[in-house]
Amino acid sequence: MTAPGCDRMTLAELTDYAAGELSDTEAAAIEEHLFSCAECAARAAELDALVRAIPPAVRSAQVGGFVTDDVLNRLARDGVHVRTFVLSPGAVVPCAVWEDDEVMVLRLRANFAGASEVTMSQRIAGNEVVRSTGHVAAGSPGEMIYTLSAAWVRQLPVVNVEVLLTAHEEGEERTIGSYTLVHGGALQR
Amino acid sequence: MPDTPLTIEAVSDEALARRIAGGPAGSTDAEESELYRRFAPRVRLYGRRHLRSDAGADDLAQEVLLLTIERLRAGEVQKLEQIGSFILGTSRMMCHSERRVVRRREALAARFIDTSVETAPPSLSALDGRRVAACLRGLAERERLVVLLTYYADRDAPRIAEDLKLSPGAVRVIRHRAIARLRDCVIGGGRT
Repeated sequence: MTAPGCDRMTLAELTDYAAGELSDTEAAAIEEHLFSCAECAARAAELDALVRAIPPAVRSAQVGGFVTDDVLNRLARDGVHVRTFVLSPGAVVPCAVWEDDEVMVLRLRANFAGASEVTMSQRIAGNEVVRSTGHVAAGSPGEMIYTLSAAWVRQLPVVNVEVLLTAHEEGEERTIGSYTLVHGGALQR
Repeated sequence: MPDTPLTIEAVSDEALARRIAGGPAGSTDAEESELYRRFAPRVRLYGRRHLRSDAGADDLAQEVLLLTIERLRAGEVQKLEQIGSFILGTSRMMCHSERRVVRRREALAARFIDTSVETAPPSLSALDGRRVAACLRGLAERERLVVLLTYYADRDAPRIAEDLKLSPGAVRVIRHRAIARLRDCVIGGGRT
């Protein structure tokens, strides 16, 4: 049976259903409706296609951004080649990615006490090339994890990349970490 | 004025089931394919949630729809007006069954329909991976992280909440907003 224009299922409900986070009773009610309403079933299929497209997109290493260890663990399970650099404040670290690396991970260590938000800025020759603001996670105390596409890093020339971490707390900003990546170009095995 | 015959896509689920149930063997291929096209995505969605496996969900969709067609043709579906409920009930039964009927499926497939028929709308059958990645990049950091933790790392809202120092309710709200934005970016908006 089709219910033209049916809006009984909200996107929020379908999102929670797709995440497997509804009670059995709630999920059963949604399933009963989906099997009797083509309109809502089509919307559910649309959302399902979108959700299923997320893992391949992440594995493609084209997403990037702040992550937690849970995401890195899944990348490792998926066989994605990850190159990790652990940076303490003031560190000057030789940095290069190999030709088969797919994701570059920066573990930025700093004193995040009192900070809820942190902005990371990457500069090359004084020009900002990356700027991103993330929230301090409880799961990785003392560090924030940032991922970049290794392909993007590979195309950089031999150059120093200055990384600056700025914490935001109660309307004020303070620098909590400054790091230098000495990029040596792409490496071949 | 004579009635214009309905195209098969416009026929109700009940009418479709009646045609399959009442048609001579071999005469309802189009109706069987249409029934499969309509319901396989729903069974697959159900299977993904309950089996946590794409391959298992694909198998389930084939098994359930093939069994449904067999039952229809054998006159064993009593309430044709509730064919959706019958398919959901069959999905539940087969999902909970430990004995998967692979050989049965193969035998049924040989007798009935071609289950390789495309069941997703053309716009959804292969979403552009680069576009999905670009749209993920376009989300706010926290939204993107919640989406990745949910749909890539398979973490539930309480676990994400603990990691991100949020409440589970806040995680769900962020996820709802993020998915709405992602859908609007990838597929196009306009609906709630």
